[in-house]
Amino acid sequence: MMALLRRHPALLPGLVFSAVLLLAPTFAERGTQNDLWNMAFFVVLAAAWNLLGGFAGQVSLGYSAFVGIGAYTTVLLAQAGWSPWLTLPVGAALAAAFSVVVGLPTFRLRGPYFTIATIGVGEAVRVIASGLDFTGGSSGLRMPAGTFDFTANYYAMVGLALGTLALVAWLQQNAFGLALEAIRQDIDGAEALGVNSTWVKLEAHAISSALVAVAGGLFATNFQYISPGSVFDFRLSLTIVLMPIVGGMGTLAGPVVGAMLFSYLQIKLLASPTLRDSYLFIYGGLLIVVMLFEPRGIMGLWERLWSRLPRRRTPAIAEARGAG
Amino acid sequence: MQKLAIVALNSLLAAGLYATMSYGLAVIYGVMRIINLAHAGLMMLAAYATWALNDRFGLDPFLSMLVVAPAFFLLGMALYATVIRWLPRSSAGPSMQSLLLLFGVWLVLQNLAYAIWGGDTQSILTPYTMESVQIFGGRFGIPQILVFVVSILSLVGLNLVLRRTFLGKAIRAVTQNRDAAMLSGVNAGQIAAVAFGIGTAFAAMAGSMLSTLYAFTPDFGRSFLLKAFCIIVLGGMESFTGVAVGALVLAFIENFASAYTSIPVSYQDAISFTLLVVVLVAAPGGLPGLWRLLDRRVVAR
Repeated sequence: MMALLRRHPALLPGLVFSAVLLLAPTFAERGTQNDLWNMAFFVVLAAAWNLLGGFAGQVSLGYSAFVGIGAYTTVLLAQAGWSPWLTLPVGAALAAAFSVVVGLPTFRLRGPYFTIATIGVGEAVRVIASGLDFTGGSSGLRMPAGTFDFTANYYAMVGLALGTLALVAWLQQNAFGLALEAIRQDIDGAEALGVNSTWVKLEAHAISSALVAVAGGLFATNFQYISPGSVFDFRLSLTIVLMPIVGGMGTLAGPVVGAMLFSYLQIKLLASPTLRDSYLFIYGGLLIVVMLFEPRGIMGLWERLWSRLPRRRTPAIAEARGAG
Repeated sequence: MQKLAIVALNSLLAAGLYATMSYGLAVIYGVMRIINLAHAGLMMLAAYATWALNDRFGLDPFLSMLVVAPAFFLLGMALYATVIRWLPRSSAGPSMQSLLLLFGVWLVLQNLAYAIWGGDTQSILTPYTMESVQIFGGRFGIPQILVFVVSILSLVGLNLVLRRTFLGKAIRAVTQNRDAAMLSGVNAGQIAAVAFGIGTAFAAMAGSMLSTLYAFTPDFGRSFLLKAFCIIVLGGMESFTGVAVGALVLAFIENFASAYTSIPVSYQDAISFTLLVVVLVAAPGGLPGLWRLLDRRVVAR
């Protein structure tokens, strides 16, 4: 047991994290459960985005489009009489399909150009969604009555969050994860070594957008009301991007740390009227500080502090681990 | 025929403003190879500054540019000295780090506006806001025409500075080849600070002018940032005449699309965003790149 823990240092905190989330309905109050639901929602968004944005380094600022597609699919199909659960895979499939449509042209772009193009795509989707009839325009849509079940939704969201993390952890050790890492470090080098970068990016984009769309569907069921202003909002894209960046891009734990920090911030900010409007200041300030001092986020800071600690390992190994 | 003339004139008037808001972005990109996402926040802040001057002192928005633009020039220099210059320099293209850093600056500026002025929609009303003149049988608002005139004046001014002064020549030299410019004795760090100031001042002028045409909130500026970016990509990122051409092209496409097709006006923004993606993907070298593309197929990068 100890040997296993030593080999996988993330296992113990991961198990504690999962246990707390899964057992919360038995001991926590409803308000706390709501906060945990929100955190799990953020974990899904951040961890899924991190697959493409962190591991492959393709920073997309248009992810609210996928939250919106998932949420609208759920509401529209539920209004047509579907069970909300059955709508989730449909939303995921639609989002994945849309991610390919968006990815095919935009993945030809590199670095900041890709990022700017994704702002354009996200904005175009929002503008069009606000103008269409079936989205309810800017006044939004309501879920049909009788679809609300918080406990089931809670378990679904927590399950989705843990499933997303498990999937990311598994992909990370896979050839697929290595390919993503190679693309981030040097896309030409990766291509030269036989990585089909466009295909790998499309896959990562499809997987992450499908996960985000499922979270969007659960969001719609939990809040019972959506509008282009809530699910296609630029601020949502912004939060999705900031969580993994502040936590630490391209790591498994980074998005979780970021999601915990941001859901905590959100609770604190919404609770106090003086801070309510200053969330942009805090988000922006965090972003500036992270980019200037530690582009690898909280996880990078943690590693830096960790490597300063005296230890028994030989320095060469510690060095190699720190770099890897 | 008359409709054609009116739409064309409308496009021309819009293009002047578009060029002003794009030049700031282009100067900064040229000298520092960074995409200034804070441009949107600076335009928004300038709109508020203009509104505050008008509200408090009754200063005309166009006259207040004489105060706002120099103030923002200093603000840009300060921003460079405190934040931007600590970025690691990337030789090749713009780095993700710089993009995200400036994104953070944008968010802070946005919050500043929320903190000072709140989230209500504001607009500037001058005695001539509702006035218009008749040209070719079409009505053109006085603010629209004034904006065009001021835009042209500011662009001529910038062009004179860039072509005639040592500073301008240094800016162009750094844009073309940073290392060679430094070898010739140009202090690239100083030039970058000045260029950031100029870029910010142009963002401020664009913001002041936008405030006479549109209502605004602290969230204002994002769609104009995307348009400006679309224009400098169209113009080939570095060429200063390219920016003017890009502004004309975007303005004509937008105006003609809403005048001659059934695309509703509310989708006008979606046109430029889509165009941005299309141009980035299909012609990464912009219009100058397209000329070269006629000769040989350039591999997209």
